[in-house]
Amino acid sequence: MTLKINPPFVEKVLIGFIREELRKFGFRKGILGLSGGLDSSVCAALAARAVGAQNVLGLVMPYGASFDADAKHAGRLARELGIRSRVIDIAPQVDAYFSAHPTRTRVLPGNKMARERMAVLYDFSAREKALILGTSNKTELLIGYGTVHGDMASAINPLGDLYKTQVRRLADHLGIPAFIRRKAPSAGLWAGQTDEGEIGLTYAEIDRILEFLVDEKRTVREAIAAGFRPSAVKKITLMIRNSEFKRKLPVIAKLSHRSVGHDFLYPFDWGR
Amino acid sequence: MNLALAQIAPRLGDVRQNVETHLETIDRARRAKADLVVFPELSLTGYTLKDLVPEVALDPLSDPQFRKVAARTRGLSAVLGFIEERASEPGIFYNSAAFVSGGEIRHVHRKVYLPTNGMFEEAKFWAAGRRFAAFETPFGRAGLLICRDFLHLGAGYVLFAGGADMIIVVSAAPGRGVSEGEAFETSRMWELMGEALSYFSTTCVVYTNRVGVEDGVSFAGGSFIYGPGGRLLARAAYLEPELLVHRVDLSAVRRARMQWLFKRDERPEVILRSLERMVRDPED
Repeated sequence: MTLKINPPFVEKVLIGFIREELRKFGFRKGILGLSGGLDSSVCAALAARAVGAQNVLGLVMPYGASFDADAKHAGRLARELGIRSRVIDIAPQVDAYFSAHPTRTRVLPGNKMARERMAVLYDFSAREKALILGTSNKTELLIGYGTVHGDMASAINPLGDLYKTQVRRLADHLGIPAFIRRKAPSAGLWAGQTDEGEIGLTYAEIDRILEFLVDEKRTVREAIAAGFRPSAVKKITLMIRNSEFKRKLPVIAKLSHRSVGHDFLYPFDWGR
Repeated sequence: MNLALAQIAPRLGDVRQNVETHLETIDRARRAKADLVVFPELSLTGYTLKDLVPEVALDPLSDPQFRKVAARTRGLSAVLGFIEERASEPGIFYNSAAFVSGGEIRHVHRKVYLPTNGMFEEAKFWAAGRRFAAFETPFGRAGLLICRDFLHLGAGYVLFAGGADMIIVVSAAPGRGVSEGEAFETSRMWELMGEALSYFSTTCVVYTNRVGVEDGVSFAGGSFIYGPGGRLLARAAYLEPELLVHRVDLSAVRRARMQWLFKRDERPEVILRSLERMVRDPED
């Protein structure tokens, strides 16, 4: 395996997925956060093709004037795709909280911002009767590089089975503009932050290791024997294991014969 | 004869709605002069049922919804999929397919091989069938297989040895694996078996797979007909709903068997004895 995809085929599957899931949940419109980055841009482009650009709302949610360039890119993308967009500054609610509960870390405000954006998305989802499209890719989901109940929260996620490298290939095919494709991936947790800088590995390396371990079901020992850097393999293995909680609903203490989360088993698409 | 492959997207857990789809599709197939219309696996219920199984289960001998569809087969035949629960065996559920002709049930096959690993959890929710058998139809002898049954070499063999001229496979096969190809990687697996089985059993292999999405899983479509001798006669689109109607000349079975002597030279008694020994003394 080589992380290769046939972009037109993947596009077709994902458009079918978005269209059908929206219909099943009784929605005509989709909503998503637009960060000005690759994943949300690809998701917006897919949604526009699936349900029509006029039925997609992109929320641009900057924190004050920081990440100004990203917010501008998000707005430009929305105009190019012809989707609706709105800018909502999340600084007032984030600042109100941290003035009462100050912190010196950079991670806590980053997580708070991700959850504020989630809260705004869910509020607008109800106002606009639009289903929330998630934009977490397979790389982020597997290594847990996301904020639980923040950017990881959504109703349906078209990108969750595509590695970052594959999302990039899909972006080329979908004609996502160069001003977005050329940027270094960033979770936007603080100014100047990049994913690869923070994780300490490149997406190219992470994705090849993940594909080897997850898709090909190989062991850590085999990965190292195959020539992957031992430190990278070990780091990634640990990240996968330590983030399982982010991929699950809360564990429920079992008491009865039939318990939610254990043996009360129904499909999402129940009767739809 | 005219074959119609009904590559539909059943609505999950909604038998009433699916009955309507069946009635409309049978009518369309009849207008297209089809003699047999083949629906996919669990066409009356959808696939990812989980705890909905008891709610959608039905007895084909008495259920009014099932009878409604069966009654619509006047002048033609249909294969349809459902969750079976007989009055004589309450609380036991099967993933079944029925061959219905002129309002009468000619044969019911219960899925034998239940995938239960990874994304599949069939054996958690229904029981396994216990036989494969060829049966008579208005067009000659046929056999029924449900999805994974088809991928087990012995299943197709039993139908071949049992004299089937046509092997009908109904499927709800999710697409898995994307690489550079223009279809899911798993589609190749089904086509390869269709080609191989039709070649080496000199039968006509008819495969109807469903489309649509359930819980994020896309069913791959790509239904097909292979003529005896491994000839691809027709294939439906991947992922899209379609009613594929195609004329099939079953006299090709006779011609293929004159050319390729697999049927004449087959020795089921040798196979049976070998299997019996193996089953009796697996250590041997």
